[in-house]
Amino acid sequence: SPAMPAPGPPDGGWGWVVLFGAFVSIGFAYAFPKGLAIFFKEIQDFFGTSYSEIAWVSSIMLATTYGAGPISSILVSRYGSRPVVMFGGLLCGLGMVSAAFCTSILQLYICVGFITGFGLALNLQPSVIIVGKYFLKRRPIANGLAMAGSPVMLCTLAPLNQFLFDNFGWRGSFLILGAILLHCCVAGALFRPIGAGTARVKTHVTEEVKDALKGKITEDGPMENKTEEEGGKDCFEKVNQYLDFSLFKHRGFLIYLIGNVLMFLGFFAPIVFLAPYAKHMGIDEYSAAFLLSILAIVDMVARPVTGIIANSKWVRPRIQYFFSFAIAFNGACHLLCPLASSYTGLVVYSSFFGLAFGMVCAMLFETLMDLVGAARFTSAVGLVTIAECCTILLGPPVGGILIDTFGDYKYMFIKCGAVMVLAGTFLFIMNYYNYRMLAKEEKERRTKEEDLKSVRTENEGTKDSTQDGLELEPLREKGEGVKKEMNDT
Amino acid sequence: AGFIKSPLSQKRLTQDSVELYCEAIGNPIPEIQWWFEGNDPNETYAQLWDGARQDRVKINATYNLHSTSTISIANLTGDDSGMYECRASNDPDRNHLSKSPKVKWIRSQANVFVIERPEIATQVTESSGKLTLSCNMSAPHPTITGHKWIHRNNVVEQDETSGGFTSYTINGKREEHSGVYECVYEANPQIRGQVNISVPPQVTAYKKSEHGNEGDTGVLTCKNPSFPAVTTWSWYKSGHGVSAGNASGRYIIKSSGNKTELRILKLDIEQDTGDYFCNGTNSYGTGDATVNLRVRSRLAALWPFLGIVAEVLVLVTIIFIYEKRRKPDEVPD
Repeated sequence: SPAMPAPGPPDGGWGWVVLFGAFVSIGFAYAFPKGLAIFFKEIQDFFGTSYSEIAWVSSIMLATTYGAGPISSILVSRYGSRPVVMFGGLLCGLGMVSAAFCTSILQLYICVGFITGFGLALNLQPSVIIVGKYFLKRRPIANGLAMAGSPVMLCTLAPLNQFLFDNFGWRGSFLILGAILLHCCVAGALFRPIGAGTARVKTHVTEEVKDALKGKITEDGPMENKTEEEGGKDCFEKVNQYLDFSLFKHRGFLIYLIGNVLMFLGFFAPIVFLAPYAKHMGIDEYSAAFLLSILAIVDMVARPVTGIIANSKWVRPRIQYFFSFAIAFNGACHLLCPLASSYTGLVVYSSFFGLAFGMVCAMLFETLMDLVGAARFTSAVGLVTIAECCTILLGPPVGGILIDTFGDYKYMFIKCGAVMVLAGTFLFIMNYYNYRMLAKEEKERRTKEEDLKSVRTENEGTKDSTQDGLELEPLREKGEGVKKEMNDT
Repeated sequence: AGFIKSPLSQKRLTQDSVELYCEAIGNPIPEIQWWFEGNDPNETYAQLWDGARQDRVKINATYNLHSTSTISIANLTGDDSGMYECRASNDPDRNHLSKSPKVKWIRSQANVFVIERPEIATQVTESSGKLTLSCNMSAPHPTITGHKWIHRNNVVEQDETSGGFTSYTINGKREEHSGVYECVYEANPQIRGQVNISVPPQVTAYKKSEHGNEGDTGVLTCKNPSFPAVTTWSWYKSGHGVSAGNASGRYIIKSSGNKTELRILKLDIEQDTGDYFCNGTNSYGTGDATVNLRVRSRLAALWPFLGIVAEVLVLVTIIFIYEKRRKPDEVPD
């Protein structure tokens, strides 16, 4: 194979430090909105609003964190992960500190919801991106460990928030939480930039993509966020330089997008309603809260373990199947939940749910990286998160409507379970198709390479293969290894 | 004219109330009257009007699309037993003093039996950690088909025996199970007795220690979940030995039968920190609880905040210096 212009990812060394930083950053991004719930009752009493008005704070925060994904991706493409995360940490801190001085619920929406939410978005995406830049061979483990930050942070934040609230009231707590969020800047400082190779690859990609898109423009007319075709071309090309819209032609990306958007409809609702369901069944408040603790602890262990399993040579080439299995397993848990009639049954359900939840989360970004490659992952993650934003926000309210209409929680569990089993099956089938197409393309490309071996120059060679080649090489070797084993038996 | 709904015969106990309902249609809309014939052999039908029988009779009639009329008699006595008739007519001459109407009044009857309310002897005994509530109904009484015990709108015990005596046992002390309990005898009509477990107020603080910020409003709450409700609440403060009332103007007390709230406006660290006592009184005694209030300085959270910010700055500086020293010639992207 032709020599690469840049060294591959280190898979260790400083990468472990970066992983720790990503652990902290991702942990804050996912756990912080959930941890705020402790303050809501007090704030509700202080401002005299209803519970749903307070719940909007969490929703706006979540929506901004996911919705600002593309902006985050553009900034990372332009400036790299480190400045973006540090700026994000500053923004979070600023948001919470200004929230400590708020005098109305609207100001809380802006300070806690938008500003802090945007800061967290600037934390989440770059952290995931830089893990992909520092790891290749051990990337699933790295992803699993980094995503484990979320339950660990949640378990830390929950009692910490309670302690802060008891001692300083909600305003003091927000002030101190603002300072705590500044640790995201510390995490960002650890994100030493890497990969001059990836930058060079990007410019190659841009030219190719420009041609492809010029063709697409004449075919399908204007794409999203473009006003006029002629004058807008410059602006569009500029945006496209940082946010790769040609991903929408990428088969793997589309499969991932549709499958995940579907999955998120049923992903978070069971967590939101687990404690109320337990109370509804007559279990006391502390035992109901303990169920969530069980979930978090199992989740904490499941994520790194899933990472290790996904990294093994049997699973890694077929990681998409493993991901689909995890989603379907998750759905099966929810479908079986209505059968749990006692506290022990619910404990069993929580443990399995924690396991399944951890498995899915650990591989959430790993599979996307596997499909589109580290270079295009920056744009891919932004586009995926803004698409998921809608269904994430829809999930719990739809579940709530189901519960209110039927007066019974089991329909919500059935809906979530069915949606997830459907998503898992869809992903499984489509990825089977995708693997076959990839194998076919690989075979075609190899015969073409051998034909043109004498004529080709180095430049042209790097153009095509660096995109997916970096990813396909280890996969191919492993795939061939498996094939050899099969031929032997 | 014709009846859509006729009044139903019923059995009632003395001191109860009864309601009879009658509905008629016709064109033009008929008028409804109520007539009564007692059980004495010499009695004849006499008309009832709104306010009859020392205002115990109430008649409520509506004449919209069709006529409806409801008669209710409160505080029944034995003399209220008899035949009640609902009469309707739409003849224009129906109430004429001399002419007799062409069409007679149509009638519908209902029999009301008023039975002497049997006496129920109630008792609460406490022994070896158990409370026993009992109701004993003296003869004569109608046939009993079962018993129920009801507390706070929940049925806590029921059976299908037919005796006049029924009892309900609770594990615990009087103070923990105060309230109104009803023993219900399933019979025709249903007979209810009431057993009260009354205790002095079991006052507890909503939160043993409260926090407030300087300058904000502090709220101290005490509650009394026991029966009967508190008639008078009062708040006292130690540290100054002054009885807190509306004297300073900074204190606002909101009380109800089972809860009291003391609001202190514009908290002051020196004056308002300390123990507060809430005291509740009812006809069976008094009870009190202690709430401790801590007032935080406005700047209390500032020191941890500055400390953490300083720590973050130190860490970031260390990381950057370490990086510069390791690779002094690297140019970041």
